[in-house]
Amino acid sequence: MTAALEVRGLSYELPGRGTRDGGRGREGGRALVQDVSFTVGAGETLVLLGRSGSGKTTTLKLINRLLEPTAGDVRVAGERAADVPATKLRRRIGYVIQEVGLFPHFTVERNVGLVPRLDGWPPPRIAARVRELLTLVGLDPERFAARYPHELSGGQRQRVGVARALAADPPLLLLDEPFGALDPITRVELQREFQALEGRLGKGMVFVTHDVREGLRLGTRIGLMHEGRLAFLGTPEEFRRSDHPECRAFMAAA
Amino acid sequence: MAGKMTVGQSIVFVATLLAGCGRADRIVVGSKNFSESDLLGEIVAQQIERRTGLPVERRFHLGGTFVCHHAITSGQIDLYVEYTGTAYTAVLKFPPAHDADSVRRAVTAEYARRFGLTWGKPFGFNNTFAITVRRRDATRYGLTRIADLARVASRWKAGFGYEFLERADGFRGLADAYGLRFSAPPTAMDLGLTYRALAEGKVDVIAGNSTDGQIEALDLVVLEDDRHYFPPYEAAPVIRQAVLDAHPEVGTALALLAGRITDAEMRRLNALADVEHKDIAGIARDWLQAPRP
Amino acid sequence: MSLLAFYARNAQEVLGLVAQHLYLVAVSTLLAFALGIPLGIVLTRRPAWQRPVLGLANVFQTVPSLALFGFLIPLPFIGGIGASTAIVALVLYALLPIVRNTYTGIAGVDPAVREAGRGMGMTDWQLLTQVELPLGFGVILAGVRVATVVSVGTATIAAAIGAGGLGVYIFRGVAVVDDTLILAGALPAALMALAADGLLGLAERRLAWRGK
Repeated sequence: MTAALEVRGLSYELPGRGTRDGGRGREGGRALVQDVSFTVGAGETLVLLGRSGSGKTTTLKLINRLLEPTAGDVRVAGERAADVPATKLRRRIGYVIQEVGLFPHFTVERNVGLVPRLDGWPPPRIAARVRELLTLVGLDPERFAARYPHELSGGQRQRVGVARALAADPPLLLLDEPFGALDPITRVELQREFQALEGRLGKGMVFVTHDVREGLRLGTRIGLMHEGRLAFLGTPEEFRRSDHPECRAFMAAA
Repeated sequence: MAGKMTVGQSIVFVATLLAGCGRADRIVVGSKNFSESDLLGEIVAQQIERRTGLPVERRFHLGGTFVCHHAITSGQIDLYVEYTGTAYTAVLKFPPAHDADSVRRAVTAEYARRFGLTWGKPFGFNNTFAITVRRRDATRYGLTRIADLARVASRWKAGFGYEFLERADGFRGLADAYGLRFSAPPTAMDLGLTYRALAEGKVDVIAGNSTDGQIEALDLVVLEDDRHYFPPYEAAPVIRQAVLDAHPEVGTALALLAGRITDAEMRRLNALADVEHKDIAGIARDWLQAPRP
Repeated sequence: MSLLAFYARNAQEVLGLVAQHLYLVAVSTLLAFALGIPLGIVLTRRPAWQRPVLGLANVFQTVPSLALFGFLIPLPFIGGIGASTAIVALVLYALLPIVRNTYTGIAGVDPAVREAGRGMGMTDWQLLTQVELPLGFGVILAGVRVATVVSVGTATIAAAIGAGGLGVYIFRGVAVVDDTLILAGALPAALMALAADGLLGLAERRLAWRGK
């Protein structure tokens, strides 16, 4: 069985634009991600942990080609990402971001049904899929399908965001601090539900966070990003016991 | 050519009145608020300075006819340059007339009788409406008089300013007087743009003012008003009789300017001021110093 | 002569000039939309063009109409005298608010919404038509409204170049110092501007999606 995601030697350098003196100093050609490799199998959740600016979010965007890698190879369900048109690739990868990014002028139903509609599913099939997904993320379709995003709470919005990412049944899900903006109670609630979903869905997931407790709770494996490199890759148990100074720093903060 | 007073002009007017109080023995020359009037005022002022040695005070760009007329009748200025046709219709309120000599005689007599003002001899040019065509066309079709226009009008397009189209002494009367029938109703547009449209061949005949600098600058030709349709607007100095009595040498100096500025010469001077933006005092000085034939 | 008496006596001429005025405004604003909205969209895709293009549109606005007409008279096709020249000038004057508001409307869309759309696999065209234009619609319509109202006023200058419209009365009135004539042109133009403002304001409230 092919892995949901295979990443080999992934690198990204900022395009070397003419640098200016002072301010932020030399920016041209700075490497944000360097030689990152990992594999995520179906039903597995890789948590990318790291400080702000360590390259976790950049890595996610390199996978769905919101940024184009300067080196390396990405395969999604066995297929080379670079060989597929970017828009087609992205429809096969669920994407959840912290700000959710629901379309404010679409109802919940239209938001969730977005990718199936882009892919040209027949409307009845979309409607059935939306109901199924809303139920899956714990929202009653009767009550929520016709609402607009501004009529939802933060937690409800992020549930819709997850449902939208799952709509076209992608083999891979990328989540960029999906619970980062929620209040602590709602966050724990969603983490618990997400944990229950992980097993049932059988999808490969890459979950970016800087919250080490969230990472240890949700990840089947932890990848620790440090200054653009993957400094550590292993199970949560191995992470707890690692003597890598950056792992120790994170454990100390937990 | 007549004008109403704006707020700005009123302020200038009042300031003029105040400044005029208690002035010593000098000649105060006024002018209206456009270049030609300023130019003529400056020429008159310099002529008085050169020929009589009297000090001259300049009160230029005062406003329209109304302001200048009140300034001179109340004694705040001694002298300014007026147009016969304007005085005839705007000040004396007579209906438009077409004969230059009778208009001049009428304003001279009425100004002396009613206001104690004397009309000097005209400078020689007549600033009236000017039916204007391209020199190329004038040569090609042998056009020198407005009457000649009747031959080609049916194939030509006309573009006129709004004033010319509206005024009683404008287009309608002209068309009747000369039997002009154009291919289409004249295009109504801004006067300044009619010159441009004529030069670019967008229209074939326009009605400018006979002393406008653009006529020379754009190589245009004014057709002669052979049936004397347009009222005369001859420019001449108007001066208080009291000043002439006290300083007869001023009258002598002004008389030397009589008949010295033709339409073409006035167009050239206006072009220096309006097209080349030369300094008014300099233009006047050069003109007074130039050798005369 | 009172204004009402003037209208009663010249009803046919007044209606003709009103029709001409509406024609000038309608054609020029439609052309300005057709030019300005795509231009504003292009600017969101090519930010480097933003300064030169907005700068140029700004310059057009500051050129006095008579000077602009002077430039346009010698030009082939778009120049000369009459309606076409007036329309070119009106389009140039209307361009800035439309281009600027189209750009601002789209640039003002929440970046997270745009990132989500792209991340879901929308093409640029889908993102533009399904997300950016609907969300920026209110701001774009506000620009359209400003441009239209301004055009109703500036269309009076068409009379300077032989294109007719309500400016004819204003120019005539100024030429012969007749306040009734000036008012006869200015009043319907002002009413037209108010009507355009009201109607487009209504459209803005009815049609535009509103954020919370």
